[in-house]
Amino acid sequence: MFAYTLTRLVYLALVLAVMSVLIFLVTQAMPGDVASMIAGQFASKEVVDAIAVKLGLDQPLIVQYGHWAAGILRGDLGRSLVLEQPIGPILMEALARSLVLAVVALFVVAVVGIGLGVLAAVRRGKLTDQLVSGVSYLGIAVPDFFWAIVLVLVFGSYMKLLPTGGYAPIADGFLPWASHLVLPVITLVLMLLARIARLTRSSMIDVLQTNYVKFARAKGMPESVVILRHALKNALLPTITVLAIDFGLILGGVVVIETIFSYPGMGRLLLFAIQRHDLPLIQATILIVSAAYCLANLTADLLYAFVNPKIRHGMRAS
Amino acid sequence: MMTAPQARPAVPPVVSPATAPEPAPLLDVRGLTISYGNARGTLRAASDVSFAIRPGEVMGLVGESGSGKSTVAMAILDLLGGGGRVDSGEILFDGVDLRRLSPSERRALRGDRIAAVFQDPFTSLNPALTVGHQIAEPLIQHKGLSPRQAAARVQDLLAEVGIRDPRRVAAAYPHELSGGMQQRALIATALGCEPKLLILDEPTTALDVTVEARIIDLLAKLCDSHRLSALFVSHNLGIVNRICQTVTVLYGGVVVETGATGRVLSRPAHPYAKGLVAALPRITAERRHRLPSIPGTVAKLSGAPAACVFAPRCPFAEETCRSQPQAMLTDGGGDGVRCWKADALAGTPWPDEDAGKARGPKAAQPRSAPLVEVDHLRKIYGASRSILPWLRRAGTVAVEDVSFTVGRGEVVGVVGESGSGKSTIGRALLALTEPSAGTVTFDGADLTEQVRRGDQTLRRRAQLVFQNSAASLNPRKTVGAAMDRPLVLAGRADAEERRKTVASLLTRVGLPAAYADRYPHELSGGERQRVNIARALATDPDFVVCDEAVSALDVSVQANILNLLAELRDEMGLSYLFITHDIAVVSHIADRVLVVYGGTICEEGPIGRVLRPPYHPYTEALLSAVPRLAEDGQEAPRILLEDAAPAPGGRGCVFAGRCPRKLGTVCDEQAPPVHETADGHRIVCHIPLATLAERAAVFPELADGDTRH
Ligand code: SF4
Ligand code: SF4
Repeated sequence: MFAYTLTRLVYLALVLAVMSVLIFLVTQAMPGDVASMIAGQFASKEVVDAIAVKLGLDQPLIVQYGHWAAGILRGDLGRSLVLEQPIGPILMEALARSLVLAVVALFVVAVVGIGLGVLAAVRRGKLTDQLVSGVSYLGIAVPDFFWAIVLVLVFGSYMKLLPTGGYAPIADGFLPWASHLVLPVITLVLMLLARIARLTRSSMIDVLQTNYVKFARAKGMPESVVILRHALKNALLPTITVLAIDFGLILGGVVVIETIFSYPGMGRLLLFAIQRHDLPLIQATILIVSAAYCLANLTADLLYAFVNPKIRHGMRAS
Repeated sequence: MMTAPQARPAVPPVVSPATAPEPAPLLDVRGLTISYGNARGTLRAASDVSFAIRPGEVMGLVGESGSGKSTVAMAILDLLGGGGRVDSGEILFDGVDLRRLSPSERRALRGDRIAAVFQDPFTSLNPALTVGHQIAEPLIQHKGLSPRQAAARVQDLLAEVGIRDPRRVAAAYPHELSGGMQQRALIATALGCEPKLLILDEPTTALDVTVEARIIDLLAKLCDSHRLSALFVSHNLGIVNRICQTVTVLYGGVVVETGATGRVLSRPAHPYAKGLVAALPRITAERRHRLPSIPGTVAKLSGAPAACVFAPRCPFAEETCRSQPQAMLTDGGGDGVRCWKADALAGTPWPDEDAGKARGPKAAQPRSAPLVEVDHLRKIYGASRSILPWLRRAGTVAVEDVSFTVGRGEVVGVVGESGSGKSTIGRALLALTEPSAGTVTFDGADLTEQVRRGDQTLRRRAQLVFQNSAASLNPRKTVGAAMDRPLVLAGRADAEERRKTVASLLTRVGLPAAYADRYPHELSGGERQRVNIARALATDPDFVVCDEAVSALDVSVQANILNLLAELRDEMGLSYLFITHDIAVVSHIADRVLVVYGGTICEEGPIGRVLRPPYHPYTEALLSAVPRLAEDGQEAPRILLEDAAPAPGGRGCVFAGRCPRKLGTVCDEQAPPVHETADGHRIVCHIPLATLAERAAVFPELADGDTRH
C-alpha cells in the first residue's frame, strides 16, 4: 500500500508539472495584452511598456514560467492584477466554499443514491425498482440548470422560503449559512443522484447473483445481513470511484450552478478571472482546480484499494 | 511433506432391511415437482422426484447437466431463486415437512441443521471478508456464540478440516488461499453448527484431481466420524463411487434409477445408467475402440412427462416407451428403476456401436522430421521494467525450459493441473503468445519469426479448439457465418463454394448441413463443440491444439467428441496437442503424453509407458487420484498430495514442495537428472530409475499387454 501510494504521488507530481506548463502556455496565448488591460484604454505606449517591464512580461516565456513555478513551489501564487491582492487567500476562500458545497452535496448523494440503488436492486422488477429507474431517467435526461431554475422559482421567488442566491459565512449564524446552501445542494444532488443510484443498482444486482451471496443465504444469514454485509460491501466498489470523481467535479467548480445561485466558489472565481483577463488569477485557479481533481481521483483509487482486500494485499506483496 | 498412502476409508455397511428394522429416514423427499417460469412459459426442472436418505448415509444424486440434480438440492435449501417454484411434493426433514414451515423457520434450519457446500470454492467465499469471519457467522447466528467464542471455535474447525495453520487462515482473505484451502474453509463453515444433513453440490468439480482426492477423503472421514448424512450432487460417477452408499440417477428431472452404489454402478438396470457407466472414460493403454456414447441431448419438458423421458435417446426404445410415462418399479431391497424393460435387459450392456470394428493399431509413423518442434521454450508473465525501483518485477514463470516434438499424425497429450503451464504451452505453439525464450518450429520454419513478419500461412495450418464452447462463438452470428469467416480470411473468394465447404465441414463433424443457419444458443454444448471443431478444420490445418476441449462436457457427450476427434485424426492425418487435466481422457486419444508440473515436463513417453511403472512421483500421485468404478478392479492405496501450490522457477525440483517421495535437500537444491530409455520414455527425478520401477502399478490391469508405440 505504501509503495503504491508513493508511486501515485510521484505520478501526481508529474501530471501537475505538465499541467502547469500547459496552463501557462495556454493562458499566455489568450487574446489580449495584460499590460494594456491594466494601463487602461487611453494609456500611452510608454506606460504600457513600463507596466510590462514591471510585471516581467518582456522577458522570454521560459523565464516567466520559471518565476511563476518557483513562486508556486514557495507557496506564493502571485498577485491578482485586477483585485490587486495576493491570490492565495482569495483562492483559499473560494475553495473552502466549494468544499462545503461538495461535501454536503456528496454526502446527500451518497446516502440517498446508494440507498435507492440498493432498494431498487433488492426489489428488482417490482414497483419500487421501476419508480427508482423512472426517476433516474428523468434526472439524467433533464439538464442541471433546468432544476436550478425551477427551484429558484418555486422556493425563492414564489414561496419566498429560501434565499435564491449568495452566500452567508457561518459566522453570521448557522441558519443563514445553511439556508444559502439548500438550493445549490439540491440542484447538485438532482444532477448526480441518478448516476449513483443506477450504478449501485446494477452492481448490486450483479453481486446478489454471486455464489458467495448464495452461500451466505445457505448459512442461514438473515436477509438484512446478506444484503448489507455480504453484498453491499462488494457492490460499492464502482460507486466509490464515481463518487470521488464527482467530488473533484464539484470542487473544480460547477460553473452553471454557481452562477445561477451566485455562489462564490471556484467556478465563479474562474469566470471572474477570465472575464477580467486576470492572468495570474486564471493560472492559479486552474492549477488548483486541476490539483483538486487529481487529488480526488487519487483518494478514489486509494479508497478503492482500501475496501478491496485483493488490491490491498496485492500492493503489500509488491 | 510426506503423506503416507492411505487406504480407502471404510464404507459403513448399508443396513439391509432383512437384518435390521428400517430406521426412519433423515431426509425424505416425496413427489417433488419443480418448475421454472418466465414470460415465455414454464419449464419442468423436476417431476415427481422421490428419494430418502437415512441417518449417517451419503446419497449420490447423479445426472448430466440439465437433469435437475442441482435444482433438487437448491429446493431442499429453499434457495431456488430465478423464478424457480416447487409445485408439489413434500420435503420431510426429521419428520417435518420443510414446505410447511415459514420462510424464517426454514432459514433458521439452514446453516444449522442443514448445511451446504457448493461447487466453486473460488466464488463461494466473500472476497471482502476474512475467512474466519465467514466461518464464524453461522456460529454467532444460530448458536448464539459471542464473537470471541466463535473465533476460538473457528480455529478448531479449521484444524479439523486439515488446515495446519488455522490462525493464519482465519485471518486471511479468500484470494490468499489456494482452491483446496478455500474448499476446506467452506467445509469448516458447513460443519460449524454440527448439522445433521450436508448438501454437497459438486463440491470438487472445480478442483484439480489431486486436490479433489484429498477433499473427498476428508468428506468421507467427516461424514463417518460425525455420523452425518449427505446429499452428494455430482456428475462424476467415480467420485460417487468413492463416497456414496446409495445413488439416485436423474434424467430430465425424473428419477430413473436408485439403489446401492455398488449395484447401480456395476450392474446398472436403467438404459440411461448403463450408458453413463459405459461412456465414462477409463484409463486404458490401448486405443481399443470408440468410447460408447449416448447420442442426442436432454429434451426439455414443459409439463408432466407423457412418455419415457429417455425414449428419444434410448437404443432399446419401443412403441410402448413412447406412448406412456414409466412408473418406478421397486424391489424389496430399496432398488428402483423406471423402465418396464429393465428385467428383460438385465444382462444386455449398452450397445457398443462398433465394438467389433476395433481401430487397428495405427501404422507406425516413419520417424520423419517432426511437424512441431519446441526447443527450450520459456514464458514469463508480468515481468516489468520501470524507472521506479519499487515497480520492477521479475514476473511469474509459466513455462520453464520445455522441449518436445509433435510428429505428423501424432497425438501428444499434455496433462497437468491448473497453473502447470499447460495452456501457455498450447498458446505458444499457435503463436498466440510470444515465448520469452526458446523457439517453436512449425514444419521447419520458425513460428515466432514468421508471425512477426506478418506471414499468416502457419496460423492457418495450426488451429485451436478450446474448453468454453459457448464463449468461443459469437451469439449474434449464425453457425454458417462463424465458419465462413476463416474461409474468407484464407482467401476463398467464391461465396457459393464457401457455402458448400461449410456444409461439408458440418457433415464431417456429424451435424446436419442445415445447422449453418442456426444460432449458437439453439445448439447443445456438444453440438457447439462440434461447430468449433468444424471451424478449426475450415482452413484445412495440419495441427490442432485442443485445450481442455472436452472438459466442460457431460460424460456422454465427452465420449462423442473424443470419438470424433480420434476419427478425424485417423482420416485426415491431423496432429493434435491434447491439453487436459484428465489423464483418463488422454489415455483414450494420445500416442504420447507429457506430464507437466510447475512449468516443466516431469515425465514424457508413449502412453503405455507412462501408465505403467516406473512412474515419476507426480505421475504416480496423479494416476492414483483418478476415481474408478468398482468393476474396474481393486483400488490401489491412494497417494494424497498436500494442496500447496507449485513454486516454479526455483533451482531444485519443482515438485519438491509436494513430493511424497522427496529425498531431501538434494531435491530442493539441484535440478533433477533425466532418466531416458530407448523407447523415448523420460523421467526427470533424483530417484534412480531402478528404484522408481519397483513401485506397484496403479493400474494392475494394465500390467501386461502390449505397449503402444
Ligand atoms: S422405458 Fe423404453 S425407452 Fe425408456 S429406458 Fe426403458 S427401454 Fe428405454
Ligand atoms: S526430484 Fe525429488 S522432489 Fe522431485 S520428484 Fe524426484 S524425488 Fe520428488
